Amino acid sequence: MNPKETATERDARVTRLYEQLVEIEQRLIPTGLHVFGRASELQEKADLLRMVASFDRSEHGARALPRLIAEALGVDSYDALLHETSASETREMIDGIVAEAVRQFCEDGVETAGDWLNSKAGVDREESRPTFLLLAKVAEQLDSNNEIDSLVRALRGEYIRPGPGSDIVQNPFVLPTGRNTHAVNPYSVPSQMAFARAERTADALLRRYFDEHGRYPRALALVLWGLDNIKTHGEGVAQALWLLGVRPVRDALNRATEIEVIPLEQLRRPRIDVVITVSGIFRDLFTPTMALLDKAVRRVATLDEPLDMNYVRRNVLEKINANDAKGEQAGRLRTQERNVSAKVDAGGFEFDDAVTRVFSNAPGNYGTNVNFMVMQSAWENDATLGDLFVTRKCFAYTRDSKGRSVEGREARGLMDDALSLVEATYQNIDSFEVGITDVDHYFEYLGGISKAVETRAKSRPSIYLSDSLSPQTKIRSLEETVRLETRAKTLNPKWYEGMLKHGFRGVAEIENHVANTFGWSATANAVDPWIYTEISQTFLLDTMMLNRLRELNPHSLKSLVRRLLEAHDRGFWNPDEEILERLRDIIEGGA
Amino acid sequence: MKIAVLYVGSSLLAPLRNAEQEINRRHGLDLRVVAHNFGAVFSDEEWSGIETDLRDTDVVFVIHVMDGENAARLIALLDQYRKRHRAVVVMNCMPALMKRTRLGRLNFARLPRIGSRKGAKTQNNEAAEGAESLDARNATTLLRSIGSWIGRQARSKSSENGAKGHARAQYLKFADRLPSLLRFVPSAGALRDVKNYLMLFCYFLQPSPRNIRSMLLYALKHYLDDERVRRVEIPAPESLPIIGIYHTDASSLFESFDAYRSWYGARRTKTKDQRSMTKADALDPKSTIGLLLMRPQIVSDARKHYDGLIRAIEAEGLSVMPIISTLMDNREACEKFFLQREEAGSGEQPAANLSCDFVDLDLQSIKETIHENTRNKIESRARVSQIVSLTGFSFVGGPAMNDSEASANFLAEINIPYRSLVSLDTQTIESWRESFTGLNPVQTGMQVAIPEIDGATAPLVFGGISERGVEPAPLEDRCRRVARRLKRWNHLQTARRDHLKVALVLYCFPPNKGNIGTAADLDVLASLVDLLAQLKKDGYRVDVPERVDELRSKLLDGNSESFGATANVTYRMNVDEYLRLCPFAEEIEAEWGRAPGTINSIDGDLLIQGIMLGNIFVGVQPTFGYEDDPMRLLMSKGGTPHHGFAAFYTYLEKVFKADAVVNVGTHGAMEFMPGKQVGLSSECWPDRLIGELPNIYIYSVNNPSEGTIAKRRSYAELISYLTPPIENAGLYKGLAALKDSIMAYRTSTDEPERARLFQSIEECSRELNLNLDQAGASHPS
Repeated sequence: MNPKETATERDARVTRLYEQLVEIEQRLIPTGLHVFGRASELQEKADLLRMVASFDRSEHGARALPRLIAEALGVDSYDALLHETSASETREMIDGIVAEAVRQFCEDGVETAGDWLNSKAGVDREESRPTFLLLAKVAEQLDSNNEIDSLVRALRGEYIRPGPGSDIVQNPFVLPTGRNTHAVNPYSVPSQMAFARAERTADALLRRYFDEHGRYPRALALVLWGLDNIKTHGEGVAQALWLLGVRPVRDALNRATEIEVIPLEQLRRPRIDVVITVSGIFRDLFTPTMALLDKAVRRVATLDEPLDMNYVRRNVLEKINANDAKGEQAGRLRTQERNVSAKVDAGGFEFDDAVTRVFSNAPGNYGTNVNFMVMQSAWENDATLGDLFVTRKCFAYTRDSKGRSVEGREARGLMDDALSLVEATYQNIDSFEVGITDVDHYFEYLGGISKAVETRAKSRPSIYLSDSLSPQTKIRSLEETVRLETRAKTLNPKWYEGMLKHGFRGVAEIENHVANTFGWSATANAVDPWIYTEISQTFLLDTMMLNRLRELNPHSLKSLVRRLLEAHDRGFWNPDEEILERLRDIIEGGA
Repeated sequence: MKIAVLYVGSSLLAPLRNAEQEINRRHGLDLRVVAHNFGAVFSDEEWSGIETDLRDTDVVFVIHVMDGENAARLIALLDQYRKRHRAVVVMNCMPALMKRTRLGRLNFARLPRIGSRKGAKTQNNEAAEGAESLDARNATTLLRSIGSWIGRQARSKSSENGAKGHARAQYLKFADRLPSLLRFVPSAGALRDVKNYLMLFCYFLQPSPRNIRSMLLYALKHYLDDERVRRVEIPAPESLPIIGIYHTDASSLFESFDAYRSWYGARRTKTKDQRSMTKADALDPKSTIGLLLMRPQIVSDARKHYDGLIRAIEAEGLSVMPIISTLMDNREACEKFFLQREEAGSGEQPAANLSCDFVDLDLQSIKETIHENTRNKIESRARVSQIVSLTGFSFVGGPAMNDSEASANFLAEINIPYRSLVSLDTQTIESWRESFTGLNPVQTGMQVAIPEIDGATAPLVFGGISERGVEPAPLEDRCRRVARRLKRWNHLQTARRDHLKVALVLYCFPPNKGNIGTAADLDVLASLVDLLAQLKKDGYRVDVPERVDELRSKLLDGNSESFGATANVTYRMNVDEYLRLCPFAEEIEAEWGRAPGTINSIDGDLLIQGIMLGNIFVGVQPTFGYEDDPMRLLMSKGGTPHHGFAAFYTYLEKVFKADAVVNVGTHGAMEFMPGKQVGLSSECWPDRLIGELPNIYIYSVNNPSEGTIAKRRSYAELISYLTPPIENAGLYKGLAALKDSIMAYRTSTDEPERARLFQSIEECSRELNLNLDQAGASHPS
């Protein structure tokens, strides 16, 4: 300890550490697997219901309990509290009241909880009632299940009711399950609510980059998926629009088909260039939205604004300039710049190339294959994975100089160029249910593009993720997110014991998490070595655990061990020889 | 003389062409009618063609244009050539376009309060009051109301009272009465142009060839100072039933089910190729498909695509009941024709007493009547086995909005499957065929995404207009596929459970034994045991494993070792059989080499993995096949599935002869196979693989996006499943201990103790690597 450290500094450090622990402690995680047709095996509904109660639900006339309490207590605004570290005690106090109110609800129902909340915080019973009624409905629906019945009915050729698809916290309307899940009207995104939430996220993202680098990134690479944009009604799309400094405009039929520029005076920061890679599924589900994004980039590029406030225009001009310089004599830069500016304003062929920012797979094709390559250990050097990403995703969805829409033109050079400008990569995470080590798609996309940027921009980008489902919007670096996910899930007995209750399948889930974690080493070198060590200790070096896994699913156990050895072989982890020995023994069938 | 018609849809072109020809022939004119379909966004080249036409045209009709970008460019052109156009008639377009309507002294831009919500409300009452004597005041009110209903309807979706939206949808009803009302309006003076617009609107609402001809002539007669047309007699608008039953072979529409039934029965008996069908069961509800048709197509006689589908369905031995509806709200027509009311003698009563007088009459009462009928419907049963919508719109709502809750409530009462097929209305057949994308965005949004919210499935394309054509034509192979798929679903409805064969398909990714039963958040094998037990209870012939372990060992072990396979091998398909049964084998060979290839094969045979439990096959779907050929990963776009994959589906369809496929969990590979994105053709792999098999997909409720791919590309019906329990992560081991120390530090007031605690906290956090985040460390190097 530094003796000069003052008591205040110490306190501050401890407080930060405390908040870090609370972040892990309160993170929602899935604790097991679902069995089709069975009611939720939730032991403790309170955690989930507390999250459900943390959001306003205007469609149910239900308001967020923390907000109601803050208002009743005369605290300015709960939203403001979330963003001030100094106010953490007030926030904790409010969170404590929410927790107790939900506990009371679980035990004694709507009336008791309302009464308690009234006596404790002075919240009007009538105001809290709709929220508790909503909780009652959610709780009841979790206790019953019609899935098998629906399936049997579908096999009899009966009508299956449609229903939305989402996380329960995001949209309790997904209950009851056993319905025919549908997507959304593509013209409805981004919704007003999504656009409002996205402003906070985009600001937080830029603030974080600025704090770390002392300036704004000249270009960001964004990954957009269909999944989160359906569930959030387009928050990811809205974030891209905010970075560019434009807002969607709805036509007379309430469709988001046009954009409007937010003036710089109002934006009070530069417009950030964005390279947008959308999943094949996004492309299928949100084709008009791709056109909207393309339109937004083009519009911003043609704005007559200072180049240090409009990075899109700056990048486009530089690209056209560079192309010109190749063909013509260098020099006479000033005239050229004017010419180039004129070219941008006139549109045209060169402009179309320089402004291409929306990429996806070839039409009718899906995925980056980066996940397959990682899973099969089929890559040789670092650059391969990034190159594969570009190979699969370099199809431009834009317009040609004649105004015709282009359905996926292979444009590798354009994507290479666009990525070479990128200084940070980013993806919106909207879910507690699906995290970055739960599936292979996150590393395939965000990892894949980061690796592609690294070799093209000759520098590893900063990699960020948001946590947009929390009431408190948070931006984390990829490394922080891997740590948080690992601590909250992979290494957490509550998580893995929940999985192991499902025996065979549970072991496969653990193995998948390790493989997906490994994916972040492969694509982004974002996994601390201690994580692999802790995984080994938790699952393999503990003899009791090792025997359990072997008993339940020896196949997945072997895959897990092989993956850890591969992490070592590829230089992601350099443990003691003793650990390696033990791992090799397991493969060879020894103890 | 020249008329330009800028429209959206597939039904107008043929009557326009016909009208041009007939008008010139009958009246000796030199009329040219140019038409542009505004369904998709145009390129600059196409725009210059449109501009050329607008430059020298006398009359402009703009119909059903809703796209903002097209509208904006069109408005600019209309303004530019304003002086040249004698009349601009805009009907059922977005508000900004409606305001461009200009006829003589009538100018919509100068009508007060168009599109204003407040205005709309008061208009309703005024219009209703004035229904009997259309005077100056309420004629303009009516005009305003027509001018802005689209905009209001779009908005009403977001408002709380969705009822207004579909109430308004009954606007067609007043078309019948309008001409008689208009008789009272003087043909001269201030109201002359108002009356003319309303007349044009009446013709347009019933777009029969004669009415379209009249519409064009009417505009020429009143707004072109030309001797040749001034004295032409134009017939009053002819009107056809608002709802009714259509059939290809009938000469007119049927207004009651009984009339249709007797005609249908007689026709069956007369038809030579009848399939031993008695008169009584010709319209057996168990084998009758209910079709919802677009009214304008029928009225305009642009219905060859419907005829093609009807014949394809009948060729499968099924009956059809194709009905036309108001397209804004299909409930009334469905009630009337598709439902058999069980109360004595009430079978032919109109479902609801819809005496809708006026476009904007408050139709709350209609809603209530329908609601009442819905309640009584316990006593009614369906006369059809499935409902197939060919309208391309929401079941309740029409083009500008959708009331999906009302749709689902209605359909759930009838409780039969609801399909929505796609007619290529805003792109040509050629452009669809050539496109890797398939449907253009407008159609995907309107004709696929929105019907899905009503619970519609199987969005197959069945017809469209070709580049040279003027009216829609069927796509024969697609119609056949639709018809056979419908037949398969009918079989599921009627067959004895113990005769049905069902394939339950599992995944295994990455492919190794440990991963059999891959699915997001689902314990697949445990789910299977429950599911099999339920199937048995429901009458299926199935051997239910007693425990999960038993199922697993049968599936994982079985004979797998002797084949070096991941799972038990249930069938060996030799190459000859494969080549004989799989029509795509040759194409696959071009991509993957000679069958059987190296994946899922042994000694020249293809291996089908899974186990047979009575009539239920639990199969393991092969993977993409990259693991044996990493070079394939590097291809930027896909070719074909491998032989093993194709063999699996060939087996399901032709060897096992499955009646249905149930995919167990999120998600497999089949729906991601190459092909168009949506609106698949017979060249697309998912369409080829699933073929005619009913496809049901157990899918995680938190994954609507990938689920939608399964729905659109493999015609799956999704059954959502709950996600696992969610709880707080809590703290454990060192993390829990650290929190205790922190709490002690925070509560302690003893300075030396606090110092000691702080030191241990610091050490602890380093041990737990929590300091990495605090230091803001970027990444390990």
